[in-house]
Amino acid sequence: MAHQTEVSHHAPEEEHPTSTGINNRKLLMWVFLSSDCLFFGSLIATYMVYRGQSLVGPYPVDIIDVPITTISTFVLLCSSFAMVRALAATNENRQGAILFWLLMTAFLGAIFIGFQVYEFNLFRSEGLRIDTNLFGSTFFTLTGFHGAHVTLGIVWLLGLAWVAKKGRLGPKTALDVELAGLYWHFVDIVWIVIFTLLYLIGGFDTGPAGDPSLVPHSITGFLGLI
Amino acid sequence: MSSDHGVHESRHPTLKQYVIIAIFLFAITIVEFVIILPEDFRGQGWTIAPLAILSAIKFAAVIFFYMHLKFDNRMLTWVFLGGLALGFAVVLALVGLFASWTPSPRAFAEDHAKPCTLDHELGGCLEDRPKAAPEPVDPVDQPPSEEGRTEIDPEEPPAPGGLVEIGRQVFITGTGQGAATPCVTCHTVGGVPEAVGLLGPDLSHIGTEAATRQPGVSAEDYIAQSIRDPESFIAEGVDRATPGLMLTAITAGLADEDVDALVAFLMAQQ
Repeated sequence: MAHQTEVSHHAPEEEHPTSTGINNRKLLMWVFLSSDCLFFGSLIATYMVYRGQSLVGPYPVDIIDVPITTISTFVLLCSSFAMVRALAATNENRQGAILFWLLMTAFLGAIFIGFQVYEFNLFRSEGLRIDTNLFGSTFFTLTGFHGAHVTLGIVWLLGLAWVAKKGRLGPKTALDVELAGLYWHFVDIVWIVIFTLLYLIGGFDTGPAGDPSLVPHSITGFLGLI
Repeated sequence: MSSDHGVHESRHPTLKQYVIIAIFLFAITIVEFVIILPEDFRGQGWTIAPLAILSAIKFAAVIFFYMHLKFDNRMLTWVFLGGLALGFAVVLALVGLFASWTPSPRAFAEDHAKPCTLDHELGGCLEDRPKAAPEPVDPVDQPPSEEGRTEIDPEEPPAPGGLVEIGRQVFITGTGQGAATPCVTCHTVGGVPEAVGLLGPDLSHIGTEAATRQPGVSAEDYIAQSIRDPESFIAEGVDRATPGLMLTAITAGLADEDVDALVAFLMAQQ
């Protein structure tokens, strides 16, 4: 590290030679994301182990609304696209575009959180709380931790937007945006898994006394509203 | 180990590629949604494989292109896939040890589970309340209901039930006016097979309950006012969305006669 004093403070990530050939911050982010796979893997495993084991309702089929969550999934996918645009703008040093796409990503993430708040509230009003049954406990824990990840990502993005507003983001500091992007995309892929597992596959699970006639209701009711 | 110095331009996909990937991800999500759209397909075991494969494709598209693992140092790919494989192994091990792969409840849950009819006024299940009405779903109070079961065509002349029967049809099908969804979308009424909505309060016994809700307001007025302006009275213990989801009578395209008919029908729900 004898060269440290000579390194420009604008671009530390470009100058440090590392034994892996990878920037240390970037490697650290990937190691963190890798470990986060284990974190979410454990929560997903817990959901699957307790799937179908609830002794009291409401059961998934009673309250899960797939169409609404499909929309929020689209929103999150859009936010990932906005994120790659933000990084591209940073590499091309288009200052206005950097700020725009960072704020757009955060905005779409906030809409996703809005959907989640709406959903949690609706479930609560329909009698599903985190302590109601095993479904409630595992559902709220898993989706809640995902929501917390998204929320943290929004804070991160807004922080970057603030830096961008001061004109301090550009090709030389692109790694700052890239790391936030990696985190953001990771949160997106976790949702891809959760959406498939908890909504598309597990969302129609009935309880032992489940009434299959309730299944079409959430979808037909939703289509009736639009 | 190759270095990524100085290859900034080449290691990110172009805008066109990003757009194609975005469209691709959207398309897969739509396909997933379509797979579970037919009622018969929902929750079926065979849907698991295609859904899992489609989401794995989405997953790979995001990590290799949006997170540009494809263009980056290979070590990063192994670091991430290593953690992913471990996480996957954890899921397999835990599920293999403690659960079955089928969604159906296992023996213990099957033996000990309690049926649940959602109670939207108080939350939770009606079955949990010993002092609740003895038979939550009982069409005894509706002698002419056999006709209403099959004939819900609003074009038909009123059935012998008179105003109650008209109200019943408005309740089930709406008036066809306005951009409204009928009451049954959100409200459950015992004995009305179409009325299994879960969003609004259960109205199975509103005829008796309405009389005790608001001092100085008769049951008929209470119901009529609640239809005209759903925000007027909020029953005690109701845990509701804010703002309320229910349409006012005007928005729902209900004429005064429709409201009167609905009141008559609901007053009959004792």
